[in-house]
Amino acid sequence: MRQIAASLWFALHSAGQNFRRNLGVSLAGVFTMGLIIFLVGGGLLFTHSVDTVLQSQEQNASHLKIYISDNASLAAITNFESRLKNDPRVISVSFENKDQAAQQASQNPDISQALSVLGSNPLPASLNLVVRKLTDLSQFNAMAAATPIVDKTTPTDYNSDVISKLNAVITIIEWVGAIIAVILMTISIVIIMNTIRTAVYARRTEIEIMKLVGATDWFVRWPFILEGMLGGLLAAIFSGAVVYAAYRVFVQAAQGHLLSVPFDGRYTVTLLVFLLIGGVAVGAFGSFLGVRRFLSA
Amino acid sequence: MSVAIAERSAAPPQHALRPVISFHGVSKVYPNGTEALRDVDLAIHQGDFCFLVGASGAGKSTLVRLLIRDEAPSTGRIFVEGQEISRMSRRKLPKLRRKFGIVFQDYKLLTRRTVAQNVAFALQVTRPGQRHMREKVEEVLWIVGLEDKLDTFPDELSGGEQQRVAIARALVHRPRIFLADEPTGNLDPDTSWGIVQLLLQINHRGTTVLMATHNREVVDLVRRRVIAIEGGRVVRDEAEGQYLREGTATL
Repeated sequence: MRQIAASLWFALHSAGQNFRRNLGVSLAGVFTMGLIIFLVGGGLLFTHSVDTVLQSQEQNASHLKIYISDNASLAAITNFESRLKNDPRVISVSFENKDQAAQQASQNPDISQALSVLGSNPLPASLNLVVRKLTDLSQFNAMAAATPIVDKTTPTDYNSDVISKLNAVITIIEWVGAIIAVILMTISIVIIMNTIRTAVYARRTEIEIMKLVGATDWFVRWPFILEGMLGGLLAAIFSGAVVYAAYRVFVQAAQGHLLSVPFDGRYTVTLLVFLLIGGVAVGAFGSFLGVRRFLSA
Repeated sequence: MSVAIAERSAAPPQHALRPVISFHGVSKVYPNGTEALRDVDLAIHQGDFCFLVGASGAGKSTLVRLLIRDEAPSTGRIFVEGQEISRMSRRKLPKLRRKFGIVFQDYKLLTRRTVAQNVAFALQVTRPGQRHMREKVEEVLWIVGLEDKLDTFPDELSGGEQQRVAIARALVHRPRIFLADEPTGNLDPDTSWGIVQLLLQINHRGTTVLMATHNREVVDLVRRRVIAIEGGRVVRDEAEGQYLREGTATL
């Protein structure tokens, strides 16, 4: 117990001493790492925000309007409607008759004028369908087209193009975000590794003596690993705070605009914890690599 | 005063059956092709005092490095206190190194630490949390005659005093074998003689001492066992030898 406490004290004391004695190099390392953590954190938050916006767009897009031909009987329509209602892939179905369609369309003054000039109502009745999964829309589209009571000229209204494009964009953004995060993490491991190498080089006589008198490898390693963890922690705290502040400002600024971004508290907390753990882990791993060459020599 | 090494038997060298250090057909070829040692057989017993002599590059330092397992032999086997160290795993190295006290020509002191801190460092990194550390440090500094320099920094000491600090650091964990690789290489004759006296004193208290040197005066004056190496081979091993074989001009 006493031995463990003394070892821990030695490691902590040496780590602090290393950090102070090479303050310039240490701070440069912390700053660079902080910048990278900021980029990773900012990138992840940005990706998440774009994801949220796109996903809400997707939800709006999961609507399908099925136009019913004018000569369809009410029984056939009710029959079709209940068939759709019983389908597990469907969230809701509502019927819109010709009058409601005209009323809806009259909200646009041009159409309202056109309708009054015509004197009759050319707008079809429709079944408005909301489905759970976007990918099911095309199947409902095909089914509708094959149903006799559906208007043959324009069976449905949904923008299949937009949906597949949205899906593609979301996937691309997620992948690009992940790849950039991995690249940045690798860069920060290399940076920490080099910072620690400088620290190790400054203490090479000490390490040499430690090895000569019979200190274990872990005893030599711990101070440097703690130093790396300390650097990573500081970098993560500072950049985490900056990311958080920037996110709040961004959310504030985006409010009231076309694509307003909601503030996601849960995601932010998870992200900040991830950045802290990531910073410390990257610091420890970089140090481990940095000190390895000197130990095996 | 209970001095660390004084507790041991002060008996003259006793050749136990098993040597403390033994080399059996040891060769060392470095990756660049240099053959540093060739087919070395050697036995050193508990309490021996041996000089290892030879020109620069003859293989003295390689032999020392093989002993502390800083290098592994290319062929042959090396035993330290009956344990084969030639193929020892990295994990066991710290335990092996704690059997040795080692000093070098370039003292290897930490300039930002005081004399006492330099000596204590060896204990801190091998036996953290040990009790009575200060007393142990004072004891060994008393042995090397630096009891009044505890709080001095190495830069304020002479070369001879710095080497004494290094010796104190090597002694503080009570090694059974003391290795000195050119310990007087940077020192004037008088100071060198003082260091050798100190090593003899350490040996007299029972510690096996192996000193690599090319200090002719010292070797000839002390008249102890001399192992001469030339071109990586042991060319001479005499119980009370001189630096040069009588009647030869070169090693």
